[in-house]
Amino acid sequence: MSVPLLDVDGLVVKYGGAVALDGVSLRLETGERVALIGPNGAGKTSLLSAISGLVRPAAGTVRIDGADVTRASPGRMVRLGVSMIPEGRQVFPSLTAEQNLLLGAFGRVARREPVTALLRYAIERGRIMERLDGVYELLPKLRELRERPAGRTSGGEQQMVAIGRALMADPRLLAIDELSLGLAPIVVQDLAVFLRKLNEERGVAILLVEQNAQLAFELCPRAYVLEAGQLRLEGPSAELQRNPLVQTAYLGGGLEVAEAR
Amino acid sequence: MTAFLQYIVTGISDGAAYGLVGIGLVVVFRTTNALNFAQGVYAVVAGMTTSVLVLHMPLVLAAVLAIAIVTTIGGLMGLITIGIRGDTTPLTSLIVTLGLTLIAESCELLIFGDGPHSYAPIANHAWDVGGVLVQPQYVLLLGVTLVVTLGLNLLFRKTIVGNALVAASDSLRAARLVGIDTVTFGVVAFGLAAFLGALGGVLLTPLMPVAYDSDLNIAVNGFAAAAFGGLVSVPGALLGGIVLGMAENLVVGYVNPQYELTIALVIMLALIGWRARHEVSTA
Repeated sequence: MSVPLLDVDGLVVKYGGAVALDGVSLRLETGERVALIGPNGAGKTSLLSAISGLVRPAAGTVRIDGADVTRASPGRMVRLGVSMIPEGRQVFPSLTAEQNLLLGAFGRVARREPVTALLRYAIERGRIMERLDGVYELLPKLRELRERPAGRTSGGEQQMVAIGRALMADPRLLAIDELSLGLAPIVVQDLAVFLRKLNEERGVAILLVEQNAQLAFELCPRAYVLEAGQLRLEGPSAELQRNPLVQTAYLGGGLEVAEAR
Repeated sequence: MTAFLQYIVTGISDGAAYGLVGIGLVVVFRTTNALNFAQGVYAVVAGMTTSVLVLHMPLVLAAVLAIAIVTTIGGLMGLITIGIRGDTTPLTSLIVTLGLTLIAESCELLIFGDGPHSYAPIANHAWDVGGVLVQPQYVLLLGVTLVVTLGLNLLFRKTIVGNALVAASDSLRAARLVGIDTVTFGVVAFGLAAFLGALGGVLLTPLMPVAYDSDLNIAVNGFAAAAFGGLVSVPGALLGGIVLGMAENLVVGYVNPQYELTIALVIMLALIGWRARHEVSTA
């Protein structure tokens, strides 16, 4: 059996005394698209925070390519090829779109020590500019917005800035927290098409955390269902979609679907 | 009229130094969300250190050395304040900087004694401009402050390090996720703040001698200057400093030196209140 890109085993996250995540295990193969769905407060963001190094898990392990990186810093995870797009996008509003993108590349070369970080950034400047052009080709809209402060762009544009910023770190795994949050359906559709293309053509694995189960099932062939800090279900999206529990809880109007059968 | 102009000129020069201290507060606040109570200490220690070093070497060398020492101390204080893991809350940080200020005052007493310290300005003569006496030190102070303000503006807008500092202030969480080490950049911000405070101190001490307990007065002035710009604006802090400096000198000249700080702060409060109101109504 091959070593998975991401292997999470028995992860526990606590805030003070409250248990947010109670022994969650999931795997994601190289180049795979996987969704994680669940209601508000199920622990989805806690899981992503623990994987990305923002939160220290109380127990359990996180492995990348089989190597234990459980308590690695967020910067180390970025350098290992795991980039996260946080909930609500969190672009840097007072910086221009292009400055946002360049910081994504800076984060990848940055170490604790600022002087060597600057040197590495200067040395790799040529490669970084090539990557910037690459991101502008993938998301042409960003080229138009390059001089505009990211805070003065629309929600969908901010999501593009956030995706572009993550891509500037040249990730192998893109973890996205709530792609659709606060965005118009048509914008979400475009972003989903883009992510599928990114995955199929460039092999970037995607871990999509979503409340919108319909979107998650459409985009990802495999999914996990998280409830109250524990995994309830997992499997191919096609199967989960037919599961009556999933239909009532996440796809809405369980009755109508039942009648239609 | 001549007296009035004299107060204004002296006020602009004093105010430039308050502005530098205030800009230091802004830099730290924007990057780490912490209020640095120790901001006045940097100016005092730099002024005192220069006053001792200048006995053994040329003034410029003494000043540069003092600023370098204080900048290093400031970076270390930053590391203590935000913690190795960088998860100290802003309130805890404030208390830590308060503690560090008290420790610094004790150290100053031990090393420099309890008397006021000063040294000669860069030139002792003064230009007579229509009856108003302008000291070269005033011009130097204002000139350096303007250059530094412009330089900081360029740093924040045009360089990746400046962008990273702005990013940390925009969203600490996102900055960490991108891979920016926010502890490192917090230390850089504190170092920069100490540099600015030290610069203000070194330039102001010949005009206004410093003692171990001067830091509170300087910090309050710097804070009022920074508050004028809503704690986030570098040019706003400079402008605030200059308004405050002028107000103080006018109070000393026309009212009573005893009420210098009190009345100046009341004026600042009124201005800040007016500004806040104005912003709300136009928003």
